[in-house]
Amino acid sequence: MLTVEENERLTRVGPGTPMGKYLRRFWWPLCLSTELPERDGAPLRVRMMAEDLIAFRDTEGNVGLVDAYCPHRRAPLFFGRNEECGLRCVYHGWKFDRHGDCVDMPSEPAGTTLQAKVKILAYPTVERGGVIWTYMGPKESQPEPPDYEWTRAPATHRYVSKTFENCNWLQAMEGGLDTAHSSFAHNNKLGDRANLRQHDRSPTLEVERTDYGYYYVSTRNVDAGKYHRVYHYVMPAQQLRASIIGYEGVRNKPARLDGHIWAPIDDFTTHVYNIMCAPHPEDELTPQAVETRERAAGRGKDDSIPGTFRLKRNQSNDYMIDRQMQKTQNFTGIVGVNTQDFALQEGMGAICDRSKEFLGTSDKAIVALRRLLLDAVATNEKGGTLRGLDPKTYRSVRAYDRVVTTGESWKTAMAKDLVALW
Amino acid sequence: MLTPAENERLTRVGPGTPGGNFLRRYWQPACLSSELPENDGTPLRLRLMGEDLIAFRDSEGEVGLVDAYCPHRRAPLFFGRNEDCGLRCVYHGWKFDRHGDCVDMPSEPAGTTLQAKVKLLAYPTVEKGGVVWTYMGPKDRVPPEPDYEWTRIPPSHCHVSKTFENCNWLQGLEGGLDTAHSSFAHNNHLGDNSALRQRDRAPKIDVERTDYGYYYVSTRNMGGEGNYVRVYQYWLPAQQARAATMGWFGGKDDMPRMDGHIWVPIDDATTHVYNWVCSYIQSVPLTPERVHEHEERFGRATDDVIAGTFRLKRNQSNDYMIDRQMQKTQNFTGIVGINTQDFALQEGMGSVVDRSKEFVGTSDKAIVAMRRLLLEAIDVAEKGGEPRGLRPETYRHVRPHDNLVPPDADWREQFREELMAKW
Repeated sequence: MLTVEENERLTRVGPGTPMGKYLRRFWWPLCLSTELPERDGAPLRVRMMAEDLIAFRDTEGNVGLVDAYCPHRRAPLFFGRNEECGLRCVYHGWKFDRHGDCVDMPSEPAGTTLQAKVKILAYPTVERGGVIWTYMGPKESQPEPPDYEWTRAPATHRYVSKTFENCNWLQAMEGGLDTAHSSFAHNNKLGDRANLRQHDRSPTLEVERTDYGYYYVSTRNVDAGKYHRVYHYVMPAQQLRASIIGYEGVRNKPARLDGHIWAPIDDFTTHVYNIMCAPHPEDELTPQAVETRERAAGRGKDDSIPGTFRLKRNQSNDYMIDRQMQKTQNFTGIVGVNTQDFALQEGMGAICDRSKEFLGTSDKAIVALRRLLLDAVATNEKGGTLRGLDPKTYRSVRAYDRVVTTGESWKTAMAKDLVALW
Repeated sequence: MLTPAENERLTRVGPGTPGGNFLRRYWQPACLSSELPENDGTPLRLRLMGEDLIAFRDSEGEVGLVDAYCPHRRAPLFFGRNEDCGLRCVYHGWKFDRHGDCVDMPSEPAGTTLQAKVKLLAYPTVEKGGVVWTYMGPKDRVPPEPDYEWTRIPPSHCHVSKTFENCNWLQGLEGGLDTAHSSFAHNNHLGDNSALRQRDRAPKIDVERTDYGYYYVSTRNMGGEGNYVRVYQYWLPAQQARAATMGWFGGKDDMPRMDGHIWVPIDDATTHVYNWVCSYIQSVPLTPERVHEHEERFGRATDDVIAGTFRLKRNQSNDYMIDRQMQKTQNFTGIVGINTQDFALQEGMGSVVDRSKEFVGTSDKAIVAMRRLLLEAIDVAEKGGEPRGLRPETYRHVRPHDNLVPPDADWREQFREELMAKW
């Protein structure tokens, strides 16, 4: 349970808010590389942390990210001409390069001094792991570019997708750091107790703080021993988990490292980046393997509204819940693992009122997450060092899951599993 | 005319408001019984007086009414599993019975003490007259269950429907206690002045306070035939009852009825109107054909409603499909359906009508009296007293009536027996 003030502090992300300032210290996914497929192609509308922006891939293939409005008279740059290394406003022809410099001002007399004075707000970008990242914080504090293990894996061994979620980023991320709910919300075979997560539905949680955030280990008692899942929380908004073992206890083919990044569009909406990465070279992610996995998550090729990142099963149609299916087949009556999550997270309202909740021991990782974030917001206000900012703190970690049968501690048994290979 | 402060006091219904606290002292309709047709069926989203709730019919057939959000981490209980006498959240499997007790907490270690501590907000319910009623007030002040005559009438003689209205509850109720407008807004035969309500369009209104609210009498002068007298009942806080034993053009109606409405606030800006209709006499049942005919005349038969909702097809978004040609030649409004005509006028006042800008006349006497009663009742409730209409013994025996009263006869004498409940 939080106070109303703490809840506000944690959830509001606009410019100038305490959380907004903290989040702007990090590199953020602004879009998938595939959303800007060609040089001089159509500009892309992007809204990030309540700022309206335009992204464009220029003639040299570099990505510019600028204010959505021309600094002249605030015309929309979305309609702009992306040409010759710059974006030209179609109102009066003013043109800006990706650094925000005005490189042409044809509506003013030749030799105008205005051109040198006018800048458009521009944020730096970098492309890594099929994602275009941006940094929206103070120029003098810009950190090293992101270097998560999955961003280094070859394109054949990683896949990233993106989904729109209609609620605040934090309640979505809380779902991502909550292994306990998978025994319920994601129970897709009612009555099948062979499933590892049905064997033990109240996992023990251990949380250990690190320089990048924390890892947490959930332990479930199963017939063969102990089923351990090691999750990482890489600050500010990334979860990494593993699906080496399937629900039935057999190694997945291919085995996967999965994760999400919850990127706030504004206080009430979020883009979720869904990460999939092969743990070993033999786990290549073929297009079929990717589609099988994405469909199970509820976001296969046919599950999204074409031309958008929105699911067809969404809040407006109650996620197409089937009450008969709920009685006989799965716990929710909703198809798609992450669609089940969305039903629960979006259904809390745009911003969950955390002053009205009751937390239990299975919420330990969520309590730890909030505590870390509140600490980090305070640290940022005081100018201190932030966890997860320096790639050295996280670049070598990976998540893993394993059934340990030997009686060893998970730390000993899984020591090698938890080191990055790529 | 009211001051802005009085208007706020009368119209705001959320938790903690004076009006909200007062309304929460009564049993209120939560939904129709038919909205929860089966045990362990689909949970139902409800919003009552600004509170988001979920109703479910449990394995025993009893109706639970609980907070729409799980107390654990506020996940929506709408997606919950209604099974084995309780509603189970699909996030972590916590389960609550209809009393709000947590009866299972499978995501926590066995023997957890949390289960005994966690309660889900739950309101008591009772089913009467085809309606699920709930009480959302202080636990130590639950009044006796509702016992209006129509709730005792068997389904063969009584029908209840429900309509969504896009405005504050009070302006709905005011329309229901305003007999004068029926000579105008509900004049559906332009140029035909033989209808009782056309023969005298400025009825005389008398209001008599009672322990349940008031009754009011409208008297229309029918010349040598005497007076057309209608006695309406107003049961606090939000129910009107009227009779239609006389036909529109005089003479006894071949289907004498009692009609009524209850205006239940969804929130400050929207209302569910419960419409009940009963046969006036035990020997004449209310057949499905009669019900259909009645509902159609009022503008809410099956074909008039957007399927799967309680919203009318003729609504604010399409100006109630007003037909200006019809308005010139056939009826006063150009709108089809008696209550649709009412909605056009009431919703058109805005979400909450600004009563500081009105001018009330003598034909508004019953409305002024109703507001006065409500303001007093809000005061009484605020001081911890018992407002009118809470106790069934004050209202259970009364019913409305209408009839022609011969010249020089006293309607009180004529109506004495007729105003007594027969069921």
